[in-house]
Amino acid sequence: MQFKSQAVAKPYFIAAIALFVGQILFGLIMGFQYVVGDFLFPEIPFNVARMVHTNLLIVWLLFGFMGAAYYLIPEEAETELFSPRLALITFWVFLAAGALTVVGYLAVPYATLAEATGNNMLATMGREFLEQPLPTKIGIVVVALVFLFNISMTVLKGRKTSISLVLLLGLWGLAVFFLFSFYNPSNLVLDKYFWWWTVHLWVEGVWELILGAMLAFVLIKITGVDREVIEKWLYVIIAMTLITGIIGTGHHYFWIGTPEYWQWFGSVFSALEPIPFFMMTVFAFNMVNRRRREHPNKAATLWALGTGVMAFLGAGVWGFLHTLAPVNFYTHGSQITAAHGHMAFYGAYVMVNLTMISYAMPMLRGRSANSPSAQVLEMWSFWLMTVSIVFITLFLTAAGILQIWLQRMGETPMSFMAAQDQIMLFYWLREAAGFVFLLGLVLYIWSFFKKGEVQTAA
Amino acid sequence: MTIDTITPDEILATPPGDLAIWFFIFAELLAFGVFFVAYAFARAHNVELFDESQRQLDISSGAINTLVLITSSYFMVRAVAAIKQGLSRVCARWIAAAIALGGIFLAIKLVEFHDKFSAGISLSTNTFYMFYLSLTIFHFMHVILGMVILAAVMLKARRGGYSAQNHTDVETGASYWHMVDLLWIILFPLVYVIH
Amino acid sequence: MDATQRTRFIRPCTYVWLLLMLLTVTTYLIGEAGLGGIAVMLAVLGTAAVKVQLVAGYFMGLRRTRWLWRGIVLGWLLLVTGLITIAYLTAIK
Repeated sequence: MQFKSQAVAKPYFIAAIALFVGQILFGLIMGFQYVVGDFLFPEIPFNVARMVHTNLLIVWLLFGFMGAAYYLIPEEAETELFSPRLALITFWVFLAAGALTVVGYLAVPYATLAEATGNNMLATMGREFLEQPLPTKIGIVVVALVFLFNISMTVLKGRKTSISLVLLLGLWGLAVFFLFSFYNPSNLVLDKYFWWWTVHLWVEGVWELILGAMLAFVLIKITGVDREVIEKWLYVIIAMTLITGIIGTGHHYFWIGTPEYWQWFGSVFSALEPIPFFMMTVFAFNMVNRRRREHPNKAATLWALGTGVMAFLGAGVWGFLHTLAPVNFYTHGSQITAAHGHMAFYGAYVMVNLTMISYAMPMLRGRSANSPSAQVLEMWSFWLMTVSIVFITLFLTAAGILQIWLQRMGETPMSFMAAQDQIMLFYWLREAAGFVFLLGLVLYIWSFFKKGEVQTAA
Repeated sequence: MTIDTITPDEILATPPGDLAIWFFIFAELLAFGVFFVAYAFARAHNVELFDESQRQLDISSGAINTLVLITSSYFMVRAVAAIKQGLSRVCARWIAAAIALGGIFLAIKLVEFHDKFSAGISLSTNTFYMFYLSLTIFHFMHVILGMVILAAVMLKARRGGYSAQNHTDVETGASYWHMVDLLWIILFPLVYVIH
Repeated sequence: MDATQRTRFIRPCTYVWLLLMLLTVTTYLIGEAGLGGIAVMLAVLGTAAVKVQLVAGYFMGLRRTRWLWRGIVLGWLLLVTGLITIAYLTAIK
């Protein structure tokens, strides 16, 4: 750690991991409800478990991004953070808002929550991923603005590097596109149309910039490759991401009532979306192969390489599988989507956060890397989580193919629930893989407490 | 890289201009390539409709625009040649001429768009017009982007910001501009002529 | 770059420019005459391919670079024009 104020990243990382645990627990509850429908009913109905699972995911990723920014920006700008106090205040505000929201989801029926939080004044609730009550949404905007103010001021007074500029662009984009969550036209097609401006332009647009910047930062640190080389790659990847990702929004507009030309726009541009992810994989491996130093933190290197591979597989390959309009005609909203969602979120955004935490946490605790035995444990957690997410994806893909076959093709298509009964086996297997994932996560957390001989950071 | 010593016979390790622009150019080629191929296969499913709609296009303005872009591209070759001799002002003038021709291209294209839109044609009219409009509008925006890049280079050249030794930006802008020309060279016969 | 080098740099490009103009006029005349069929299609597409190679080689200067860079553009050109040809031939059947 080169600057004292980088320490504010620590609570963000700890909160991120804590919420990650919550996300996985609710995932397991939900996965079990797939096979035993009335498990925990009426205390935690399926729709609530799902909402908590996805919302916790987003909130912990945001905590991770913010922590990463607070760690990365001072080091890139070569100056102390504009206001570490502001960063700590927003941390507690954001954590409290997130916790209250989850308590709200669990304690009262969603309709009651909506009524109590002013949804009748400005209706923004009830849409996937954007279920948060109005006060939470406003809170997110306020926290985001204070956060952006803090890091932008830091960059303005310090050194301006490509990495921090790309990160800032991504984070500002994140805040700007969130504003579409307040726009909720009563026409269902228009509602969905603009809903994607938040959801798609986040995960297939501005978040990729954040991902690229975080990965580039860690790669510079652990490989010692020239900044110029890494920055050039970063620019090319980002240009490709934006060319393909923005119009690629069209792949969500198939069969929902939008004009037909979206089938062409969506198919062509999103078919190219794997390219930036592939370039990211090549980038990560290339930089590690050209490394000029042997960084003691092997676990962080493994996470960085894993991010490249898994983001390409999950977002690139599994996305491409069902992105062409004629294919999507059958796969739209099936378990194929769930398979893609799991591997893409894990491979791209979960892993890049874990890469950053793996690199930065030891530094924040005053050493360049954890002890070898702790790193071995962490690498075990890497493989357990990664392999189990691969299996979850494969089981869900199998479930999806069978579901599509039974429910949407053939002479006598089955009803939705009848088809679900037929794919139960895959849901059981997925749940089992989910427990392996939890085990991996427990090992990950354990690795932080594992003692051993450590090198102190320079 | 010392450009001044390079003769036409020497082999360069990388193409003229910043290497990053070349990755960008290849990405653009790929995106347009996919669109060109999609057009051809969509046509194969609906030959009569495509041929019928294609006949309503104005081949003359498409051909004139090809000549305009090719000439504009050639002017950029002259601009690069000028700066290689260290002639900043001459270079800036050639770039200005290239930008002016880009403006003529846009004007002709706007007349075409105006004709089509006032005839009530839109992206939803039929598959041919969907392709015609999206391909040409997509290309149109690339012409604008190219002109912006060239304008930035021209202003710096006019201020004497480049020399015979140091002029990567000029080549970068020229390379992008040639790509815009290159894409139109395929787009014009594909969409206006071949049936 | 001295005067001889300048001439060697510009003169081929000037010829290419004139050739490109000529080829464009040919394509235009074929289009105005409304000609169609496999032979015309192949001729027009082939003309476009030649023009692309000329622009890439001379204007973009790829003929003075390593084969890798020329290969990428040539490969792209062959792939795109090849697939377009296949699409047109399937339509004729």
